[in-house]
Amino acid sequence: MSNFMNYIHFPIYSVMVLFLGAFLIVVLGKNKTLRSIIAVLSVSISLACMIALIKPVMVNGEVIAYWMGNRVPAGGYAIGIAMEVDALSLFFGLLISTAVFVSTIYSIQYMAHDENIPQYYTLLLMLAGGVMGLVLSGDIFNMFIMVEILTFAAVALTAFRNRVFGALEAAFKYLVVGCMGSTCILAGTIMLYANAHTLNFAQLSAIIPGNMNTSTKIAFALLFVGFSTKAFIVPFHPLAADAHGAAPASISVLISGVLTKSGIYGIIRLTYFLFQTMGLSTFQFLLVFIGCVSMFLCVTMALAQHDFKRLLAFHSISQIGYVLTAVGLFTAVGFSSGIYHALNHTLFKGLLFLAAGAVLHETGTTNLDELGGLSKKMPHTTVLFLIGAFSISGIPPFNGFASKWMIYQACYQKAVESGNIGYVLVTVICLVTSVLTLASFVKVSQSVFFGRLPEKYENVKEVSFGMRLAMGIFALLCVLTGLFPDLVGKYLTQPAATAAFNASSYIDAMLGEGYAASAMGPFLPAAQNVVFYEAGVWSPMSWLLIMCIVLLAITIVAVTSKYDRVSAVSSGEADAKHALFFSGEEAVYSQVGGSDLFWGFKHNWRHYFSFMHDLHSGILNDYALWAVVDLALVMLFMLIVL
Amino acid sequence: MITFNYIASFFLIALGFYTIITKFNLVKAVIGLSIADYGVNLLIISIGYVPGGTAPIFTQGEITQLSYFVDPIPQALTLTSIVIGACVTAMSMSLVMKLHESYGTLDTREIRRLHG
Repeated sequence: MSNFMNYIHFPIYSVMVLFLGAFLIVVLGKNKTLRSIIAVLSVSISLACMIALIKPVMVNGEVIAYWMGNRVPAGGYAIGIAMEVDALSLFFGLLISTAVFVSTIYSIQYMAHDENIPQYYTLLLMLAGGVMGLVLSGDIFNMFIMVEILTFAAVALTAFRNRVFGALEAAFKYLVVGCMGSTCILAGTIMLYANAHTLNFAQLSAIIPGNMNTSTKIAFALLFVGFSTKAFIVPFHPLAADAHGAAPASISVLISGVLTKSGIYGIIRLTYFLFQTMGLSTFQFLLVFIGCVSMFLCVTMALAQHDFKRLLAFHSISQIGYVLTAVGLFTAVGFSSGIYHALNHTLFKGLLFLAAGAVLHETGTTNLDELGGLSKKMPHTTVLFLIGAFSISGIPPFNGFASKWMIYQACYQKAVESGNIGYVLVTVICLVTSVLTLASFVKVSQSVFFGRLPEKYENVKEVSFGMRLAMGIFALLCVLTGLFPDLVGKYLTQPAATAAFNASSYIDAMLGEGYAASAMGPFLPAAQNVVFYEAGVWSPMSWLLIMCIVLLAITIVAVTSKYDRVSAVSSGEADAKHALFFSGEEAVYSQVGGSDLFWGFKHNWRHYFSFMHDLHSGILNDYALWAVVDLALVMLFMLIVL
Repeated sequence: MITFNYIASFFLIALGFYTIITKFNLVKAVIGLSIADYGVNLLIISIGYVPGGTAPIFTQGEITQLSYFVDPIPQALTLTSIVIGACVTAMSMSLVMKLHESYGTLDTREIRRLHG
């Protein structure tokens, strides 16, 4: 233990530095410069530690087992508290530390006009530390503690701007349902302890699969529902929508990019490692079903929204549905495409939320019906927003296309392999969702950045450099991960997928070579032959070329043509029958608002939309009821199928 | 005997969740959370219980093969869980206070500005 710069210490550094930073800001946070330095320094060190682990863990395939205070297992029992970092943990750790880093940079200027900024940074770093601790922990009780820390920090940050419309309400609903989830996680954890007499994750993974009984099945249901509340998958999506709308944009980045991923991480650990039930087609059905419902339901909810950030929140859960569906396929390509999409989602959704934050920062509203024409005032933000919108809609060559393409392939391949026609339907749902996502981002770009600028926003300026820098980092990463899917696959997603399919090596790394084989006996999963087919074969560079040519052509036409956009909409030409005019005084310009763009589509689906609108009543009791019904259904599922 | 504890703990958890679902008062929702939390605490303690066991407090030399004591780990977990429960109550009550200031009511059916 003499060498403190040995990489095995890096996981604990990356968690501790965040909590230490949170503590130091409480003490020294009065000074504006000092607290910014502390915050940026701690998140940078955390990110640097994670990047330094890429070589040993991702490339060399090591699994870092780190026992606190060097209390190694005695007599075959894990008595100490452990951290365990395999490629899967590191993948999520990298994703989280990147998002936290960018969010902190953005916060410095975005939050400059708020009160109580030291408390904001303290909570931000606590949230980051909680999520980092969750993904790097090798101890299930510590995972619960970290879940509580991150829930608390997230609730407090949601209510941080407590004068904002609905902030307190959103925070309270999130707190109640989130704590119901946390209670479920604790109850599940302790029921596993009752069966296995250990809290070490690796040892539990060795003991539980061979000793399934009624109480472990109920424990699975409790843990699954608990992590579902953290991932905000159906039926917990209204909480995410409420929380995102009210929280500052830099926190929305973390809630959508980081918190949901921690829930997904929990579900992956639960199904692939702890219970190792993913080989059963019923469990694949469970994850794919919930994933598809989340995907489709939330994208239709998003179409009906009038608030920029609330719309993005529903899209966020829709994209999480993609991740869950792909992970639930239980194929190597499916898993790697799923977590690739998780990475991409953090990047592009972070970018979109920061763009929404920039709009809010300059105009003071995120209401789609009030905004318009901001591309003239905020050109850089518009370009950055469009990169994010292209990415989420799956337009090549951006990263959303690369991962969605892999997900379609994986679904289709699963349909061929298993002979189950249902997976073709899953592919279709994925495609339809993608189309609806594109439609809804056409609506957002039209009603925020294009069209006519309302007079009250004449004095709007471009946001400051620091905020554009943060968005620029996300935009650059969106383009890079889209252009080099091979490198992302080789260094990030494929090692993580390989780790997920080799639970026994995870167990052995913790408790000594051969432990998994001796403890699990016949339940030891057969060594998976993880093959990545020619997944996602396409050439991003040629798509980039096509994209450039198309953009160039549009620009040339727009610049050289004699068509005058302004006169077409606002001048009082005699030919009024083609002018945009709905009602009221003819002199008053009325833009085709966000809610009107797809009115035909919405009219045809009006019964569905009004039903969904009434269903999401905003009453706390309803959301709590959904949580309990979800819990009851998963319990019933477990008792019937297993 | 210990079976009764298990039944009681799950009854408490169910009662807590039932309270959250059926009561329209915010304070009662917080009480429901606390009841569910107590149920889990009772469950944890019951799992660590060994009939006839002593308190798990020993010094280095005292512990032998014949020492018979209850499982100390669940007790440590319960302490953590109690602390977290207190934090939940404190934080939710402060939110309830703020909500009452800005909405003028504690009825969940009226606190629904965010919906649809």
